Amino acid sequence: MQEPIFSLLDVERTYELRGRGWFHRASRQLKALDGVRLDLQRGDTLALVGESGSGKSTLIRLMLGLEPASDGRVLYGQRDLSQLDAEERKRFAREVAFIYQNARGSMNPRMRIEDILAEPIRLHGLCAESALPERVAALLDRVGLPTGLLQRFPSELSGGQIRRVAIARALAAEPQVIMADESVAGLDVSVQAQVLNLLRDLCREAGITLVFITHDLGVASYLCEKIAVLYLGRIVEQGPTDAILNTPRHPYTRALLQAFPRFDMPLKASLSGEIPSPVDLPKGCRFAGRCPQAQAACRETDPVLTALEAGRQVACLFPVAAA
Amino acid sequence: MRDALNIPAPPDSQWKRRFVQPLLRQRSAMLGLAIIALYVFAAVFAPWLATHDPTAQDLMASLQGPSAAHWLGTDSYGQDLYSRLLYGAQLALIIGFASVALGLAVGVAIGLAAGLMGGRTEWVLMRIVDGLLAFPELILAMAFMAVLGLGTENVVYALALSFVGPFARMTRGDVLQVKNQPYIEAARLMGVTTAAIIWRHVLPNVVSPILVQAGMRVSIAILLESGLSFLGIGVVPPTPDWGLMIAEGRAFITMAPWISGVPGVALAILLVALNLLGDGLRDAFDPTTQKDA
Repeated sequence: MQEPIFSLLDVERTYELRGRGWFHRASRQLKALDGVRLDLQRGDTLALVGESGSGKSTLIRLMLGLEPASDGRVLYGQRDLSQLDAEERKRFAREVAFIYQNARGSMNPRMRIEDILAEPIRLHGLCAESALPERVAALLDRVGLPTGLLQRFPSELSGGQIRRVAIARALAAEPQVIMADESVAGLDVSVQAQVLNLLRDLCREAGITLVFITHDLGVASYLCEKIAVLYLGRIVEQGPTDAILNTPRHPYTRALLQAFPRFDMPLKASLSGEIPSPVDLPKGCRFAGRCPQAQAACRETDPVLTALEAGRQVACLFPVAAA
Repeated sequence: MRDALNIPAPPDSQWKRRFVQPLLRQRSAMLGLAIIALYVFAAVFAPWLATHDPTAQDLMASLQGPSAAHWLGTDSYGQDLYSRLLYGAQLALIIGFASVALGLAVGVAIGLAAGLMGGRTEWVLMRIVDGLLAFPELILAMAFMAVLGLGTENVVYALALSFVGPFARMTRGDVLQVKNQPYIEAARLMGVTTAAIIWRHVLPNVVSPILVQAGMRVSIAILLESGLSFLGIGVVPPTPDWGLMIAEGRAFITMAPWISGVPGVALAILLVALNLLGDGLRDAFDPTTQKDA
């Protein structure tokens, strides 16, 4: 079996919340991630699914090394991300690319598209200065944009164009892993389809490992072979896309699926209430408060992620029976 | 959609649209620019335009009104006012631009360091800047002239020092805003070195309000320099300087009003022109006053 490219070993991320005022110094802890365990193989396409506040973005920031893990370890290959030396860090910067949710904000508004795309190429010395214009034009062509945009500034491009430029920039350094945060949210359906197709083709052709954050199960099923469902900072269900979508074993996954609009069915609001605050986590299962089939034991014991069948894990004491 | 967008933009149009056109639209700024260009021309070609040596004294021809020999008259030492005016323009412009440039360089460096490093460095630097800002510019410049002594370079240093505070504070404020933008983090994630991030990503995004401010400061610098010289703590007397000329003519204001009047009017016109250009720059490039952004 090949070794994983990313491994997360019981990663936790807590934020200290300082009490206001002189007499309330007692600080409280906000657990954004709580014991996340994840293995990513080379060539995997993984979707991180969950409601807002479930810790998707925190998880990806940890995997990028933008934030340290409070506990547990994030391994890239065999190396701990927090202990990379300068040489390894540079290699990591080249091999792992991130596509921001706010594509326009992730580009310097004073730089032309040409320079934005050239920057990572120049930085990693991927080609001679004379071959640079050709290479930049090829990148733009690969994401299906006309070369006339090269002289424009980011503010002059449309939402769909700027996201494709963001993808082109991520590809510029010839990465092995691409992480994308809600890269299609808020786009027209047609543009969304274009961007999704582009990402899917790139992953298939170049064998790029993809980690894709989304709250849209439809997008996840189209783009990714694996899905990890997050709830309140923990992975509650994980496995191959088909299996999860057809036979969800965790009540939360099932509720998410039922909340997904379809043509042939009336929509029923299956999840009541808000996601609880991660500051005061309830005892027992964190989903118990909203779970339609919670039992007494659920309020006592916190279920851990356990393997149900091959490649399929669920964190539930009483998994939904396979239909 | 692709066809409609496939019109390539001419390479230079962006630059022109961003920097030249907004300024051209400011009519009063263009008037100011024309007047300043005239002064610069006079200053650069002073050796050829002048009819006399600006420091040659001719006591036989003192206190004369405008004539064919002395176009704008002479002062109490018989020095030709027209020639002194031209060389005075040279001095005023050099001191004005040099002191602002020096103050800008030091102030921006301090502001960048404070904004980017944060923590204790920022605290120490900003307290120093607060100290500089506590004094009005003229008082601060006067105090430094008293310490450094008279002389043209010392005027430049004193004025530059009085400008460090405003530039540093402004740069720090903008840097704090820019440094939390996602594109800075994105650049760091791509492995861009710190120096390149500052040079390519931070500076271009804070530079335009700073340059606008610099444009406005030039006129303040020239006014302060003339003020210092008028008070007798600026440049050394025989040097042709407008502030000195006004001071020298003060005693003869009833007999020979042109001695003070000529440099006074020249100074006033230059300051108005600089302010017009400064306001135009601000209206054209400062995002907070931009109407059609």
